[in-house]
Amino acid sequence: MNTNFNKKHTFLNKIVTHPYFGFILAGLLLMTVQLLEYQGIIGVTYARAFGLTIIYFIISLGFSLLLGYAGLASLGTSGFIGLGAYITGYVLKTLELPLIVALLLTLVIAIVIGTIVGFISLRIEGMYLAIITLGLSEILNEIFKNAVKFTNGVNGLKLSSLTMFNTIITHREFYFVLVFVMVLAMILTINIISSPTGRAMLAMKNSTSAAQAMGISILKYRLLAFVIATIYAAVGGLLYFGYWLTSNPETWSISLSLSILAAVIVGGAKSIWGVLAGTFLMFGIDLAVFKQMDFFQKYQDVPYLFSGLLIILVVMFYPGGLSKLGVDIKTFIKKTFVKVRGLYHNWRYGKDDIR
Amino acid sequence: MVIQIIIQILLDTLMPAVILMLATLGIVLIFKTSYTTNFAQGSIAALAVYVVSSASALFASIIPGISPVMQLILGIIVGIIAAFLFGLFIDTMILRKSKYINAGGKQMITMGIVLIITGLVPLIFGTLSRTVPKIVYGNIDFTLFGLDFWITKHNLISIIIATVVISVIFIMLRFTKWGLGVRATASNELVASMMGVNTHFITAMSWSIAGALGALSASLYAPIYGNLSSAMMTNIQINGFLASILGGFGTFFGPVVGSYIIPTITGMVAYVSALWKNVIVYGLILIIILIKPIGLFGKKVQKKV
Repeated sequence: MNTNFNKKHTFLNKIVTHPYFGFILAGLLLMTVQLLEYQGIIGVTYARAFGLTIIYFIISLGFSLLLGYAGLASLGTSGFIGLGAYITGYVLKTLELPLIVALLLTLVIAIVIGTIVGFISLRIEGMYLAIITLGLSEILNEIFKNAVKFTNGVNGLKLSSLTMFNTIITHREFYFVLVFVMVLAMILTINIISSPTGRAMLAMKNSTSAAQAMGISILKYRLLAFVIATIYAAVGGLLYFGYWLTSNPETWSISLSLSILAAVIVGGAKSIWGVLAGTFLMFGIDLAVFKQMDFFQKYQDVPYLFSGLLIILVVMFYPGGLSKLGVDIKTFIKKTFVKVRGLYHNWRYGKDDIR
Repeated sequence: MVIQIIIQILLDTLMPAVILMLATLGIVLIFKTSYTTNFAQGSIAALAVYVVSSASALFASIIPGISPVMQLILGIIVGIIAAFLFGLFIDTMILRKSKYINAGGKQMITMGIVLIITGLVPLIFGTLSRTVPKIVYGNIDFTLFGLDFWITKHNLISIIIATVVISVIFIMLRFTKWGLGVRATASNELVASMMGVNTHFITAMSWSIAGALGALSASLYAPIYGNLSSAMMTNIQINGFLASILGGFGTFFGPVVGSYIIPTITGMVAYVSALWKNVIVYGLILIIILIKPIGLFGKKVQKKV
């Protein structure tokens, strides 16, 4: 029996199987969280936890491109997010310019920083790169602490309210901006992954020499990978500042970089849905469940225990992460279905020797 | 006057330098035998310091009339043993049992261990602040060539202990069978195992000794740091990595020299600008590494396709 004859090529089917459909559906689903919060069904802390998780998901998407496709391990993510947040804070608070200027400035600086790190990655490879980016993140963190004029030092930068198009935007309205940017980021990511750029990055990850032999410019794609990841991180920082209206130097520490790494690894670095699942597992549960419980308010660091255990177990026994889990469950269900159908046939029509 | 200030800075930075040397030596031992950068070196050391403080409190309660110094020394010994066992546990139970492991995977696992220790410490040792006392309190003032200098007694004892330990490790690497095994494993693990070197034993011992070195460095560093926390060794960890890259991972000798250079330069820069010392020093190191990626004393490794 050929199943291709049964496949419906209707208009509806075309829409449902389109890759964007899932992204937009996910966006709509996440929007209902805020709508439910308006109705008072969901507490405001849960809605904000969702918002923050969406921001971390956008950042993790950029990081998954870097780690899963270009094969470059970076630990500078938190520094770049902080940079985005502080640029936004400086533009909005001190210069009193609109958000769009902050966005443009963030993009420009992200491209510059990404290019610099990309050039560093050409000289220093593999495990050393993680250390160097860690050092870079440490430099940025020192600047956040010490450049009091720009960042207000360890007291943290705070903004009373965010104004967009002459109206005050609260975190409730800004949530929809987050979802919109998230869907945009997902669409952008799948376009990069399935374009020649993504294939070239994957080739580069598997073997630098082989990729070079096939005519792939290492310089171009390393720089591109870092620029894209830095832009995602810096835009994440911008969204963070827009959503929380505050930024502290200690937020942008190594543990945030490690948590993002954990989310991407646990989710599966090569799949958008895997990264989504990983981020919600790492950050969502932490923010929405653990932070609300008395036990974890007393022991604030304990949730790290679970992320650490998960990362070790996934690396040890299940390198594909959660994205592979979905495929594995699907094949398991298919296999069981075929088996059960066979058993049913045997019971209904008797054993078939030919089959 | 300038000479006096420079020599005083050199004396002051000797203490951070030996602490960094101990931590870095652990990182390099693991890198040479397991081909991975151990991000958990600092966290294991921090965990060990918590054990030190708990153990010395325990000794105070079970042995009546014990002197505070004896308490601390016994505590440090227990802490070092705990870190030794923890290192052994990581290598034999986690790294060796992993199914599909490569250098990157090992690195991820050590990052996972950092997160686990961060979560575990408040759960086991509570959230109350605790400190580790100095071995001896007080300063030593002395005159050299007609100039006055001073050093704290704790620093002097720490420097002596660390120098002895580092020398012993280097002598062991050069002259014992274990050292030969480590050097053989470092040059090529597969060939070493074919030649009858028990590479599993060598790797496990490297992890254990690295843990013990970290525990010692953290125990000496804790009184200067103040209230203990699971992140207390983060700075030393990062400096240790940068020192290893600065000196070059190729030799054992390079990273130790690198970890003398970094605190010394930081001390010198701090005299000029205390606020921006880390930024300036890290920036300098990054530039040096960009110019010479294999490190100051590194050997060029030929890559095969």
